[in-house]
Parts: sequence; structure tokens; C-alpha cells
Amino acid sequence: MITQVANPILEIHDLTVSYDQSPVLWNVDLSLPPGQLIGVLGPNGAGKSTLIKSVMGLVPPTSGHILIFGKELNSVRSKISYVPQRESVDWNFPASVLDVVLMGTYGKLGLFKRPGKKEKELSMECLEKVGMQAFFNRQISELSGGQQQRVFIARALAQEADLYLMDEPFAGVDMATETAIFQLLKEMTQEGKTIVVVHHDIHSAMNYFDWLIMLNLHLVASGPKNEVATEELLRKTYGGKLNLLSKVSELIRQTDFNPLKS
Amino acid sequence: MNDFVYFFTFQDPSIAFVVLGITLLGIGAAYVGTFSFLDKKALIGDAISHAVLPGICLGFILAGQKDPAYIVTGAFVSGALATFLTSWLRTNTKLSEDTIIAAMLSVFFGFGIVLLTVIQKTGNPEMAGLNQFIFGNAIAILEEDLLIYGGLAVLIIICLSLFQKEFSLLVFNPDYGKAIGYPMGTIRLVFNVLMILSVVIGIQAIGVVLMAALLITPGAAARFWTDKLGPLLILAALFAVISGIIGTYISFVFPQMPTGPWVVVCLSTVALISFLFAPKKGVVFKMVARNRYLRKSHREHILKTLYKALEEGKESLTIEEIYEAFPYQTQESINSIKSLYEDQLIIKNQNVISLSIKGKSAAKRVVRLHRLWELYLNEYMNIAPDHVHDSAEKLEHILTPELEDLLENRLNFPKLDPHQETIPRDHDEL
Repeated sequence: MITQVANPILEIHDLTVSYDQSPVLWNVDLSLPPGQLIGVLGPNGAGKSTLIKSVMGLVPPTSGHILIFGKELNSVRSKISYVPQRESVDWNFPASVLDVVLMGTYGKLGLFKRPGKKEKELSMECLEKVGMQAFFNRQISELSGGQQQRVFIARALAQEADLYLMDEPFAGVDMATETAIFQLLKEMTQEGKTIVVVHHDIHSAMNYFDWLIMLNLHLVASGPKNEVATEELLRKTYGGKLNLLSKVSELIRQTDFNPLKS
Repeated sequence: MNDFVYFFTFQDPSIAFVVLGITLLGIGAAYVGTFSFLDKKALIGDAISHAVLPGICLGFILAGQKDPAYIVTGAFVSGALATFLTSWLRTNTKLSEDTIIAAMLSVFFGFGIVLLTVIQKTGNPEMAGLNQFIFGNAIAILEEDLLIYGGLAVLIIICLSLFQKEFSLLVFNPDYGKAIGYPMGTIRLVFNVLMILSVVIGIQAIGVVLMAALLITPGAAARFWTDKLGPLLILAALFAVISGIIGTYISFVFPQMPTGPWVVVCLSTVALISFLFAPKKGVVFKMVARNRYLRKSHREHILKTLYKALEEGKESLTIEEIYEAFPYQTQESINSIKSLYEDQLIIKNQNVISLSIKGKSAAKRVVRLHRLWELYLNEYMNIAPDHVHDSAEKLEHILTPELEDLLENRLNFPKLDPHQETIPRDHDEL
């Protein structure tokens, strides 16, 4: 059940991604409409983060290609904002909350230039949106997990992008904050922004998202929420890994080359 | 003493030059080293500093004398080769990083020692100074050498200042840097080049073996004092410069003393002091804070004992009764009673002790916090009344007035704790 759209903001064509030669994402082919809040669902190890990372060019595709706003990634980077997983960085790094949010302005600043007053004001506004303005001078090592997530979201907002890709931004966030941030994301989609969120909780996913991508090593479904949120598709997504597919992955890993590489 | 004045008034221009050189070198090395320390790549610096030795020897063999241009180039090339091999092996084999670094370090250094021995066998009169490259001798540096080393140090400092934002990104979140379109591969390359250069400029003054210490120790020591990147870099540079100058001074006074080991001795002292005395993170600071807490809690326990006696209708306790209440802690009790008396919280009448008005209010507060916390644990966390005492016994000393207000409001100003004892308020009469 894969719905393709006309004039997509993001199109992924036959994307296969492998780690150490064994494929973790098989032939994903989808297109996404603009101005929607899009959830990426799937069990652990389904390839959700891998999908986001390959859109951002952080992992090389084995085959396939991706177009964003109809163009190659490198020509539209300034219009895309990325929220990595919280665990991917060392929070003991000596930096304040504001320092991290300022990184969101680096893309537009370019190399060499240091952020000035304008960038600081923008960063403070973004901190206010996630309710963290009181913490701007706090060392990042002193934050709780949920606060760290909010700092990362504020940093993404500071990029002032049109497409946002967020990798598990709600892991470790309490319910009240989750609701507030979903509200914020909803408002952003009403302004025409597109937001893709890797999410682990099916229950809240059903409440908030407009569009769902369901992954389990391969693309199970991509379409409007009320069309794809069926029991059958959910069972296909979460009902364990496809045994045969895993075996083929293992077989490829053991061969001396990757036959899928184009 | 004369030496001291002669050295530190810089009347000798060659000393002024050497001190200037060591200052620049210290700042450069501390800057690069702090970033690699934050990046948890401290061992790379060690590997590079050992790996430059064969390059130095080859440079010497090619030039036939101690030509700084040849030696710097040779050192840089072999340092670069080691760095490149390390990262190539990491991506192309399944060997772990520490294995690769250990192998690189010993292979290159071993090869360097072989070359050094070969040079010594040739009997070239120029080779006398070559041994200095192992442990360093800042005083023996010639002025024209200093131009090269100092110039490179300035280059490193300028690069790091220009790229501070980029290097922070490289250490903190390189994937994000890549995502916003920064050339992270090139930035990593520039950083590696700076790292090798900072080792290269230190070979004459500090020596190859100990250069790693000048890279890593300043940043590690400074980390105890601050959580901010700017002050961290400045403090690390300061530590490196001070140690560098002291090491140079010792080499000046005792010409047979190598500079490198003395710089390392100074740096280690700074690191030890930081480890012991830095506020918040230092061991001594933590110990003092703990002792202060223990003293406070013992004082408050005595106040509580007096208050409980009051609840049972006894206006005062003898000093012996108080000692008995805290077996094996008589000395602490003596100290606490003394300080409570000094603060006018208790009244002493020979060996009979009672609470003053101020003391009653303080005692009530501790008892109140104790019983409020017990009630909170019981009501909100469903902990049985016979399991709440121990936690309250500890937390009564640290709960703040704000938390007290919060507890009072949450529990709606309760009268009794879970053991049916009265929660005392200031205006209550006993």
C-alpha cells in the first residue's frame, strides 16, 4: 500500500542501503507530499534511522537515488534541517545550550564567520519555542534527556528550513513536552513546512501524524494515515522480521562482494 | 638567584627569543591538544610524537647536518604517514583503534632509533645534537631555528582561532556538520595537519617522546576548572606556557638538564593540583563538602535529640545523655555542642543543656522536614511507614525552604506524620 504523489517534496527511488555489505534497507521507493507531518514507524532495526541518514547523505546508498525539491541533496542543503539521535553526541562537551542552538545558524553563516547578534536573537527565539529559553546559559552536561532533545529541536528550528528530518526526537521526553512539541510541529506544517519524524510509539503516532511511512527492512506502506493505519499493515510492520529477507542479507554478507551495488 | 633575575628580565635577547618560542609552542600545542582530548583521541598525539623520529633522522641523513628545514619536513612527512596509516587501517581492517595506535607508535619509534644508531656509527661530528630531539633542549635552539618553529606555531594558533567553530562541530557532532553541508572530511584533514605540525614544532624544545604530554595534559588539567570552551582553551594555554617557561629556565640553570622532562614534571604538578583542589570536581573540594555536610547533620541530630526530649516533657538533657545518644561519636558530639553553643542555639548550664529560643525554632525545622518527608514518601510514593525513616534522616539536612513550602502545599499542611507524631510549626507551643 504505497501512495505516490504528484509534485513531491521528497522522492526516494529504489533505495537500497547496506552496512558491512549486508542490506538493511531494501528497494525503498516512495514520494512525500509537502506541508505534512510525516511519521516513520517500524520495529527496532527496521532501518528507520538509516532511511533518514541516507536522505541526509550520511550513509552512502548501495543503489538508488534521492531527490529533494526535485533536486540533488547538495544543491538544497540549506533548506533541509536534521535532528540526529540524542545518543549520537558526547553531552560532556564544554558548551552551553545557546552554543548548541547557534550551530543551527552555521549552515547559512558558512565557514570562518562567527555567529553574531542576529544569530543569537534567532537562537533565543527558537529556544523559546521549545520552552528552554531559561536554560540558555546552562552547560549541556547538566540537562536531562528530555531537555537535550528540546535543545536539538531548537537547533533544527534555527536552520529555518523547509524540510525537517528528525531521528527519534521524542525518545526520553515526557508526555507534556511531547504534546507541546507535536503542537509546535503541527503549527509549522500549517506554515507549509514538511516534517518527517522517526517515532517509536504507535499510539501517539496515530494521534499526531498526517502521513505514515511503515518500514520493516523493506517499505511496508507509505500513505495518508487513515488509509495505511490498518491492522493488516501494522501486523506486517511489527510482526517480526521477514525470515527469508534476513537470510538473503546474511548470504550477501558472506559473499566477497555486494551484488546489489550499482 | 642571579640566574633567576638574569633569565626573567630577558636582558639576554637569545633568552627572550627562547621564551617567546616556548610560549608560542605552548599555546599552539595546548589548543590542538585540548580539541583532541575532547575528541577522545589523546593517544593519536602520542603516536604522532613517537612517529616523527624516523623522519627527523632521514632529514638529517639527507641534509648531512642539522638543517631545520630538512628536519621539520622529514618529521612532518613521517608524522603524516603514521596518521594516514592509522586511519587507513581503521577503516580497512577489523583491528581496534588502540591496537593500531600501539603498533604505529612502536614500529615508527623503533625504526627511528635504528636510524639514530646508524647515524651515530657514521661519526658525523654534526650529530652531537641529534640526541636532543628525544628529550628536548630549549636553550640549545638557534635563533634561525626559532623563526621556523615560532612561525609554524603562529600559523597553528591562527588556524585554530579561525576554525574554532568548525573544530567544535567536528568534535561535538560531525554528522550534523556534514548534514548542514560543511566539508567535514577536509576539516578533519586540516585538524590532523595542525596536530602533526604542533608535534613537529616541539621536537627541538620538548623532544619527540614527551611532546604528547604537552598536547594532552594542559587540556586535561584545565577541564577540572571550567565547563566552557573559551576559558578551557585559555587555561590550557596558560598551563602549557608556564610549564614550558619553567622547564626552559631549569635547562638554562643546569645545562645538562633536558627541557622536556622538566616541562612534563611541571605539567603533572599542575594536573595533580587541579585533580585535588579544583572547585566542584577536585577531590579535596569534594571531601570538604562532605565534611561540612557531616558536621551539619550531626549538629542537627543533637538539636533533634533535645527537641524530642522536650516533646517527652524534659526541658533539658545532661551532656552525658547526649553522648549516650550518639555512641562512638563522642568527639563529634563535643565539637557540635561547642559550635551550637557559639551560635547561641543551645544554653549550657554546667553540664545541663537546653534549647534556646533560636535553637527551638531550628530544631523544629529539622523535625518538621523529617516528618514532612516521611509523610510524602508514605502518601505519594506508597512506602510503608516503617521504611521511611532512613531516607528522611538524610534528606532533612539538605531540603531547601522552597522544597519545604512545596511539601507543605502538596500535603496540605498536615498535622501528623505516618507515625502519628506531631509535625511542629514555628508558632506551636509545646
